[in-house]
Amino acid sequence: MEARDQGTTLMTAICSFIVILLIIQIWLVSAALEALLSGDRGVLVPAAIASAIMFAINGGLLWHALRFDRRMRRTAE
Amino acid sequence: MSDKDVEGAPREPAWRADFPIRWALDHYVTRRELAKFLTLGSALLAAGNAVIAAVGKWRRAPPLPEVTIAGAAAIPIGGSALFRYPTEADPCIVVRGQDGALRAFSQVCTHLSCAVVHRAEKDELFCPCHHGHFSANDGRPIAGPPIRRLPVIRLTQRGDQVIAIGKEV
Repeated sequence: MEARDQGTTLMTAICSFIVILLIIQIWLVSAALEALLSGDRGVLVPAAIASAIMFAINGGLLWHALRFDRRMRRTAE
Repeated sequence: MSDKDVEGAPREPAWRADFPIRWALDHYVTRRELAKFLTLGSALLAAGNAVIAAVGKWRRAPPLPEVTIAGAAAIPIGGSALFRYPTEADPCIVVRGQDGALRAFSQVCTHLSCAVVHRAEKDELFCPCHHGHFSANDGRPIAGPPIRRLPVIRLTQRGDQVIAIGKEV
């Protein structure tokens, strides 16, 4: 597989993974809001920590993809 | 005039010089941009969750009122009574177990909000809508679809009066 095709596959996979994590984060926000309004405050901090971890994973994936992209462009030049 | 130039390639219409924006290219979003946008959304959601957690940690719920439910003698062993706490929109049930202790719970089933009823012979609270069973000792679900326990109403007794003083979710 050529590097360009690898980049396309990588970017598609990363986008898909980020979307999945984003959907889980949306669910976490709605569940946390419901828990807050119903007075069940024990789950709020774990939900916030889980959401922060997912953001960190998303950021890491994006950073990796951009780094791969930069390397490919440098190679092409 | 023909739309093709002498070499066969499509020729630009005359208005293109005044309006050079190409919508297709202008609306084109690369996967890189999409990933950046999604990660920004992820950051906002994480921040939202942090704000919710902070609000839950720092905002104290106002104290609940004290409400007299009934006279203690009015509820015999194995008996129950209905009341509303903390507002008129919150139905609750108080039961006296076989050990003589009074325990009170929200009457709203944690499955789909039907009203639970007391079954003294089984020492449980029963939801007739979907056959949910809760323990009459602590309100935890013991059978059926509910997975969360019934909120507990804290009680105290002053003289003969049973008084609701708080709620534990």
